[in-house]
This record gives sequence, C-alpha cells and structure tokens, in this order.
Amino acid sequence: MYSALIVNHFIDPEFVGDIASPQIEFEIGNSVCGDRIRVQVNTVAGVVNDIAYRAWGCATSIATGDIFCESVKDASLSDLSARSDHEIEAMMGELEPSQHHCIHILNELHRTLITEAQAKGAL
Amino acid sequence: MNQQEISGYFDYNATTPVSGAVAEKMVASLSAFFNASSSSKQAQVNKAMLQKARESVAQLLNCRPEQVAFTSGGSEANNWAIKGGLLPYTRTPGHIITTAIEHPSVLETVSYLERAFGFEITRLKPRGNGAVSLADLEASVQDNTQLISVMYANNETGVIQPVNEIAAFARNHGIQCHVDAVQVVGKHAVDVEALGADYVSCSAHKFYGPKGVGCLYIREPEALEPLIHGGGQEMGMRAGTENLMAIAGMAQAAEDCIKFVDQWNDHYAVCKVHLIEKLRQLPLEILFNGDASTAGAVSNTLNFSIQGVRGEALSALLDRKYGIQVSIGSACSNNDKRKQHSHVLTAMDLDEQRIQGALRVSFGRYTELSDIDNFVLQLECCTEKLLAMSSVV
Repeated sequence: MYSALIVNHFIDPEFVGDIASPQIEFEIGNSVCGDRIRVQVNTVAGVVNDIAYRAWGCATSIATGDIFCESVKDASLSDLSARSDHEIEAMMGELEPSQHHCIHILNELHRTLITEAQAKGAL
Repeated sequence: MNQQEISGYFDYNATTPVSGAVAEKMVASLSAFFNASSSSKQAQVNKAMLQKARESVAQLLNCRPEQVAFTSGGSEANNWAIKGGLLPYTRTPGHIITTAIEHPSVLETVSYLERAFGFEITRLKPRGNGAVSLADLEASVQDNTQLISVMYANNETGVIQPVNEIAAFARNHGIQCHVDAVQVVGKHAVDVEALGADYVSCSAHKFYGPKGVGCLYIREPEALEPLIHGGGQEMGMRAGTENLMAIAGMAQAAEDCIKFVDQWNDHYAVCKVHLIEKLRQLPLEILFNGDASTAGAVSNTLNFSIQGVRGEALSALLDRKYGIQVSIGSACSNNDKRKQHSHVLTAMDLDEQRIQGALRVSFGRYTELSDIDNFVLQLECCTEKLLAMSSVV
C-alpha cells in the first residue's frame, strides 16, 4: 500500500527534469535495490532557488526525490543542514516496512546536498 | 461486480471474482444452518448438499467423490498432502523431490520437514523455458525418495510442468506423488485419474469460487494421515464442522467449470495471442519470461519484462492512474540488506534487471479484447513516463 503522500508525489512529480547549467549535481543510490536519484541544484546567497531530479527505482523512491525537492526549494542551506533525522523521517509520512529504505534515501539526499554545497562553496 | 474494476483486472492468477451463480448458491445455503454431520432429520438436507458438492468436485477432477476431501484452500491441501504423506516416515526420514518454483505452501512445508525431522530435499531448478526437466528429476531420485511434489503450472509464468510424465515415473518407482494443480483447475480440464498422482491440490477462488475453500484429491484416502484430528468429518480425514456455504460455492464453481472450461480456455488463448501481438508492436524492449506459447503455459498467463523500468513502479502507476492491476516479479525488501525478488524468476537464472522489470498479466472469463487494448495503451504511456523520469540516471 502507498500513502496518499507517496501516491501524489509519484504519479505527478513536480520536480522531474533538468537544469541547464547546475551549480551542484549529485547522484545517490541504494546498492541493494538499485534505486538511483540524480539531483541538480542552483543556489543564490545560500538559498536553493532551483532544483530538479531524475530517478530510477520503485514508486516510493521516485516520490522521495520529489518530496526532497519540494522541501528544499527556497530553503536556506544552513537551515537544511540543521534538519534532524527525526524531521527528515517525518517528511515521508506513513510507510510500509518495505518502503522504509526511502527514509535512508531521503537522509542521504540531505547529507549529500550539504556536502556538495560545501564543496562548491555555496554554504 | 464493478465493470470498471473488472476491465482493469489482470491478476486472475492471484484470485478470481465470485461468479453470480456461485454467489446465489452461497446465499441460498445460508439458511441451511444445521450441522451436516448431525443425525437429525433437518441435517439430512445439509448432508445431501455436502454429498452433492463432493460429487460435483469429483466430476470436475474425474475421480470418485470419496477421493475428494474439502480443505480451507490450496495451502492446506498442499500442507496435508506433504505432511500427511510423510508422517509415517518421520522416524526414518528419507528424500523429497520438489522444485525451486513451487508455491511457498510447498517450499516452506518441505523446509519445515527438513528442519524438524531431517528429511533431505532436492529442489529442482527449471530450465530457461520455466519448466523442470523429467531427466533432471530422474537423475535426482534416490533409493530412499519418499515423495515427489511438483506443481502442474507455475503461478508466475504459467509454464506447465511435465506432471504427467513425473506422476507416471513416480508410480513406476513406488514413490508418492503430489501435484499442486491450484493454477490449472479452471483454466483447462484436469483428469486426476489420467494424471495418476496420489494427491492433487486445488483451490476454489482460482476458478470463480469463494476464498477459504479448496480440496485435496487423495487416490487412496485410507492411506493418508489426517492433518487435522478431532471429529469424524470428511470421512474421518479432516476434523471441523464443514463450511457448507463455501463448499456450496465451490461446488457451483465446479459445475460451471465442467460446462465452460473449454470455452474459457479458448477465450484465454485468443486474449493471450492478442496481447503478445500488441506488445510486439510497442516501441519498447520486451522480453517474455518462460514459455509464452499457449501450449507450453496455461493460456491465461503471460510474464514479461520491459527493459529500463522497474515492474513495481510500473504496476503502481498502472494501478493508481488507470485502475489496472497486474502482479510483479520483484518487490522492495523489508530491510536494506536482502533482495526480495521472485524465487521463480531467480530459479530460472534471469538477470536482476529483468526480474526487477517483470510483470505478470493473467486474465479470466470477464476479460475482453478491448480491455487488453486499453491495458497495452496505458502500459506504453506509463512506461514512457517512467523512462522519461530516469532518462539520464
């Protein structure tokens, strides 16, 4: 079963696409299930002003990419770096046990964004 | 039955809708509440209903009524045949042959016997076409082989196993033989007499009967140990007050099946050929898993993979956007360390991407060719959407 949150973000994801010249680009994956998500980001003054993703994987991981992008858009990188694991887990709503790996994916998306932003001098 | 729901239903191997005739029979049986095992005058009607039901199912399988014992379904029938057949050997555990593609109610039962009593198990792998080979089975037989358990047709690929040859081989070697025919009864005629197996399992909800009822054909009923002890029901073979409503439903389903199964089978074959033709016209890379012919597999089932997409995501999109239901070959795991791929497709040595992309389509008597046209249309649409989402990943 999929929650309404997952269904909405999976069926009509808002952020699937590309950014022509992204300032930050990274890809994360889950070695067991093979899910992969690529994210492209532009920031202005430490705030995410443009974000897009592409994903290969299960319905929940595709939805996770969209949930991440929606929550990150217009947020400051310093605020994002302070998001707790608990806050990140809550963003996914109710999940079946077989969908729990997407919490790790969402965590990794956050961690990697901050790491990449620091590497590019955006944070 | 909701017409829109049934038009998008392509998962008949999982379960079938109860037919109108079956529902009527079940409702009518509700007023007959007397215990069929009672000796009261009122119970005679119920006893007669039970006997008539047994005769209908026996006619469906081509056996004597006393060789049919009603169960709670296919899983119980499989458990009973295997455990009951091997109970006399628990102190001298020998060897069991089964296949790696059986239903979990067979695989987990033999694993239990292996663990609890020390039986040795051979789990035959299928060849690339999805069928086990008689030669492999013959080569695996040992002097102490006590049971062979092989499914008639696989639930995921529909591929028919060489059960006639295997049952004949078992008879010739004095080995008990169990055939799980759950996926075949209702799809084409099954003649247990001609098959020659000792035990044959079937389940009513796979052929338009109710859930929670099935039966085990037992060639020599007096030779099989009961699974459930307690009362004298089912000729002393299975204790518990009979579920007359479910049994009445199963009997009606059996009677419909006797009349129409050839017609249904022809219809499924037309549907399958139509689906394969339509899929081949798509601009997608589609691989059929197992024997896709109408002779090598039950005619209502087709298993295929679309390169580049995950079956789980594709089935979710088909379901949530278009109300189309199919089955998948791979699901997400409940933990991060173990893959949850189809044991059937894995045993066929298909590569991981192919297993992750697998869909099982199974249709039934209510499927129309226009439903298949719509399915293929939406399949293409959903696949393109998913491919576009992942185009550079």
